[in-house]
Amino acid sequence: MEELIKTLKQQIIEALNLEGLTVDDIDTDAPLFGEGLGLDSIDALELIVLLDKHYGIKFTDAKTGKAVFQSVRAIAEYVQAHRTK
Amino acid sequence: MKIAITGIGIISAIGNDQRQTVDALLHEQTGVWTMHYLHSNHTELPVGEVKMSNDELLQKLNISSLEAISRTALLGLHASREALQQAKITDVSEMAFISGTTVGGMDTTERFWSDWQKNKNLNYVSQHEAGATTQTIAQHIGSFAYLMTPSTACSSALNAMIMGANLLRAGKVKKALVGGTESLTCFHLNGFHSLMILDKDLCRPFDKDRAGLNLGEGAAYVVLESEQEALARGATILGYVAGYANACDAFHQTASSEEGEGAFLAMQQALQMAKIEPQAVDYINAHGTGTANNDASESRAIKRLFGEQLPAISSTKAFTGHTTSASGAIETAICLLCMQKGFVPVNLHYQQGDENVIKPVQKTQFRPLQTVLCNSFGFGGNDSALVLSQKGVDFADKITDVTLQEYVCVVEDLDDYKGYIPPMVARRMTPQTRKMMVAMKKVVQESGIEPAKIEAIFCATRLGNIEQTVAFLEAMLNENEQNLPPTPFMNSTHNTVASQVAIELKNHHYNITYSDGEKSLQSALLDMKTQLELGLIQNALVLEFDTCEPKFDGMLQKVGQNSQNIAKAYIYCKK
Repeated sequence: MEELIKTLKQQIIEALNLEGLTVDDIDTDAPLFGEGLGLDSIDALELIVLLDKHYGIKFTDAKTGKAVFQSVRAIAEYVQAHRTK
Repeated sequence: MKIAITGIGIISAIGNDQRQTVDALLHEQTGVWTMHYLHSNHTELPVGEVKMSNDELLQKLNISSLEAISRTALLGLHASREALQQAKITDVSEMAFISGTTVGGMDTTERFWSDWQKNKNLNYVSQHEAGATTQTIAQHIGSFAYLMTPSTACSSALNAMIMGANLLRAGKVKKALVGGTESLTCFHLNGFHSLMILDKDLCRPFDKDRAGLNLGEGAAYVVLESEQEALARGATILGYVAGYANACDAFHQTASSEEGEGAFLAMQQALQMAKIEPQAVDYINAHGTGTANNDASESRAIKRLFGEQLPAISSTKAFTGHTTSASGAIETAICLLCMQKGFVPVNLHYQQGDENVIKPVQKTQFRPLQTVLCNSFGFGGNDSALVLSQKGVDFADKITDVTLQEYVCVVEDLDDYKGYIPPMVARRMTPQTRKMMVAMKKVVQESGIEPAKIEAIFCATRLGNIEQTVAFLEAMLNENEQNLPPTPFMNSTHNTVASQVAIELKNHHYNITYSDGEKSLQSALLDMKTQLELGLIQNALVLEFDTCEPKFDGMLQKVGQNSQNIAKAYIYCKK
């Protein structure tokens, strides 16, 4: 799980072009949207693309995606349960 | 001066001309069907296609099939001819042609992209840019006094009407042919798909279960001229432009704010110009795309302005699909036809009410319409509203010569953008956009004008963020139209830069982008000068922006053209 969390953080930094941030800067349990990291609706869509590309997880609408993206830990748990690759 | 409308031309999924359009509206028949003409893998997505192939259009327009011409230009020419014919105009030498588009020649670019690398079909390369569409249409009509191409995503065509009306009021032209054209492309179908706002079923604007929009295509134009000119030459007056405004939501690149500030300001200012109270509006043709966000935000803006007493409201996008850059003109044409025939068109497919959004017209209503409001909103919160009326309004303009103070800033090398742009904002910007932002911030600072008090933002760009366009296009072709990232699509829209500037400056004023090839800056400055002379604005921010992308530039060079990097900002204020 810890390994997956680290990989995910790296992938998020890359996909969202979070320049200057390192894996250690992202709090595993902090909210990603609004307060916390401060991501927006376009980032949610980029995360959906990321999860499809790397883990074969498909979302049919943005709302379901955003419900999953509470924190990096929440994403990691979802990936572990639903990944197809 | 009253601004009269003397010609209408329209082509969309519901018909190739005025008569077919009215028939479809009255018979409540949608033109959104299963994909037939567009060659996309996303056949699951219903689209509002014009029911003619390119070959059929070429034949009908009497154009040689050997000519390099985009579908966008073909649709535009079809509608232009209908409008000019109705207005009985053959000489266009004292007329402006203002045609909004964002897609431009993308329909041919995406077909020939891989051919171009092999040196085939290169005659289409110069058709790519938005302004080429306007030029090509004009070549088949005649020599206009001005050619202008507003490119502000889905509000482009309504912004063309605003520009045309201002040129008439300032006495710069006698007549104007104004509107917009857009053909369906795999590029923007996939772009909207990456934003997850396309409905796999027929769209249901304002419905509780609305699940997105259906894309459409088409073109529409109207002929504008002074009432005096129209009467003098014996033209039939079909209606009047009574008021208009463009305002910026300055909230987000693709989403509308909860309060619908930009939409509210545009509608409010348009009614003020028309000198009418909200109660005088008989019908609102809403932007109403069918996305959760637009319909909620637009409803909020309408309720803020109109209170509890709402006029009849409908979106006609369930008929035509969302025709993006052409939608403002297509819906203006629909409003004019409804005013002539005396009916309010139904909001198709509406079933369940949503307490947070307005309740649209569920059955065609037959009654006279004196005053109609038409909304058209684009990405970047570029929001426009137009008031049409049976009586018109006298614009008693005083035109004054202006002497201007100029401030200029050019950024060629990017060293210290971090002091100017917050990192969370900069991360989505291309290096060239970052230079533009720094130039803009420096020139605003130098001028000493408070950012929110800059009264208009004009952007001139030939190719926009072409590197983002190429990135999305190649991803689309390489990935077989699957799983595409939304950021490059969002950035590929020509007005991205001007909207990012407005968001940075928290500026809700007039915001326009022109894409007229090498004459883009000329178009932007003509708009600015016209508004300064009319006294509509006292100062302005002008942005000159372009990017040289190696692959695209290589193709341009093969046809004797080239592109360049520019990031230059100007402030002008009256002395």
